[in-house]
Order: sequence, then C-alpha cells, then structure tokens
Amino acid sequence: MPAFLKLCLVFLKIGVVFFGGGYVLIPLLHRIMVDQMRWLSLKEFLDGVALSQLTPGPLAMLATFTGYKAGGLPGALAATVCIFLPCTVLMLLISSRYHHFRRIEAVRHFLDGILPAVVGLVFAAAFTLGRTSLASARDFLLLAAGFALLQFTAIAPMAVILGAAAVGLLLRFS
Amino acid sequence: MEQEIEKVTLAEIAATFFMIGATGFGGGMAIVALIERRCVHEKKWLGHNEFMHGLAFSQILGPFSLNSSTFVGYYLRGPVGGVVASACFIAPSFLLICILSYLYFQFHEVPALKSALMGSNPVVIALILVAGLGMARKNVAGWEGAAVASIAFAVSALLGVSALKILLVAGCWGLYKGWRMGRGC
Repeated sequence: MPAFLKLCLVFLKIGVVFFGGGYVLIPLLHRIMVDQMRWLSLKEFLDGVALSQLTPGPLAMLATFTGYKAGGLPGALAATVCIFLPCTVLMLLISSRYHHFRRIEAVRHFLDGILPAVVGLVFAAAFTLGRTSLASARDFLLLAAGFALLQFTAIAPMAVILGAAAVGLLLRFS
Repeated sequence: MEQEIEKVTLAEIAATFFMIGATGFGGGMAIVALIERRCVHEKKWLGHNEFMHGLAFSQILGPFSLNSSTFVGYYLRGPVGGVVASACFIAPSFLLICILSYLYFQFHEVPALKSALMGSNPVVIALILVAGLGMARKNVAGWEGAAVASIAFAVSALLGVSALKILLVAGCWGLYKGWRMGRGC
C-alpha cells in the first residue's frame, strides 16, 4: 500500500521539522496537506485546525485529523505516531543524557540563563490565551474564581477545569 | 532517592498522564502547569529544578506539552517510562480527534464544544498564572532574572518571536555570564 507509506513518510518529515512548534506549523501544514498532497480542502484544513485546538494535545493533532481523512482509523494512528516520533525520540535521547549534561559547567550556565526566560514564556502563554478568550466580565470572574481555587485550596485542577467547562456547556456560553 | 524512584510503577505513570491528557483543555502551558502540579508538588516524583530543566529542553524541541511528558516519564522509568508517559498523554486527544473527525466527515460540521472551552479557558489561564508565579518565585532571582523574564514575556507575547529563538538567546546570555564569572570580573 504505497499511499499508506506515503502518508507515514510525509508525517515523519513534518515531525522532523517540528522545531519551534506551535503556530509556525500552520503555513507548513497548509502547503503540504492542501496544496501538495490534496488530502484536505482549504475549508477542511481550517476546520481541522479548530478541531485540534479543542483537544488538550498539541496543534499537531491536526495530523490525526488529516490521517483520518486520508486513511481512516489506521491512517489517523499512523499519522499521529509518525509526526510525534522524531521529537519523542530526540526528547528520550536528551532525557537519557540529562544527568550527564547537568554536570557540565557550560550546560549549567546555559540552563541558568534559560530558566527565567522559560518563566517569561509561561506568562506569555497566559497572555496570548487571555487575549483571545477574555472578553467579558464573566470571563474575568471565572479567571478570578479559578485563581482563588487553584492557589488557595487543594481541589484538583482537573476538577476545576472540567467544572468550568461544564458551566460553559450548561449556560451555553457563546 | 533511588528507591523512591523505583516505586513509581508504569501503571501509575500511565494513569497520571492519561488523566492529564484527558483534562488539560487549553493545551500547551496548561498541560505543563498540570504536570508540574501533579508530578512535582503532589507526587514529588522529581524536583522543581529538574522539571524546569526538562521544560527548557522541551520548549527547544517543539511540542513542549508532549516533550515534558516524555521527560518526566523517562526521569522515572527510563525509555519505557518516557514512551508510556507520552503515549498515554496523547491517547485521550487522539481518541477525541478520531470521534470528532468521524462526525465531521459525516456531517461536515464542527460540533458545539466551543461553549465548554469558553467556560474552561479563563480557568486554564488562572492555572497557568498560578504555575507561573510558583516558577517565578523559585527561578527568577534579582533584578537581572526579572529583566530576562520580562523581556522574554514581551518579545513572545507582543512581538510573537518564537520560543526557540528566545531560549537560545537567553541561553547564550547565561553562557556569557558564566564565562565572565569564570574570569572573575
């Protein structure tokens, strides 16, 4: 089945050029899936991006969606495994050398420099999400309530998130 | 410490990351905040410092929610632990996408999950803020750390510079500082 192999190869290739991640991926995926491979129409691509953002997984879950269209359930599974394989293998390699790495002085300095920047990026993620999803007093109220619950009580964060999602569903937020 | 690590079973790793993958709506940093809370604060599987290093590597390599799972899994149980953690983290999203894809290609409509996300998103932001504040207390020391964190925040949030570039520049700044200290200036 050459079509199936082709699918695996394309997603492996995308997985390799994954560095930087996130939204830089969208134009690349668009070119490959819509223009070159014609697995998706433009509308399907945009809806697929929206669907993949409904899930907790990374944006690259779009691979699952595309794989499903191109090859059903086996296609979805193959596309998902292939797009995540390169970064997972690389991460396993780094993890395996971690205890060795952190004893090297240069690596320690490098990491010391990085950590404050990582903290800045955490806040940047909150800001970016906030810019698109904090619109009304209701949203800020939920934010404040969530902050209080998560900071000062021992309630599991999963319960808080799912509870807020249920509130949104029941009250039909739009 | 070693015995402590031995005790974590693969089944526990699998269950933990499946739960995180099933509830971390909002993705990305929300996942990281959940992993930090569950694995560092509640279960004490690894130290805060180790987790932050893992997060730094994860961000350099792209999809950092998945990479952080891989890192923690590996830290606990080697390569098998890493694969189990990442696979279990992705599994709920995979199943969800398969169901949504099936519905979408049948009916050509995006299901009305949006209102659920509109409810959870503000809370997810709160979760990220709480995690960020905890990280800031431990990792941002003095005016210089605060300056690096603020600059990273600004160029990422306002200018949209990629995380990879920001982290590489910050890492080089760290190397430069180390080199200066080594020379005793």
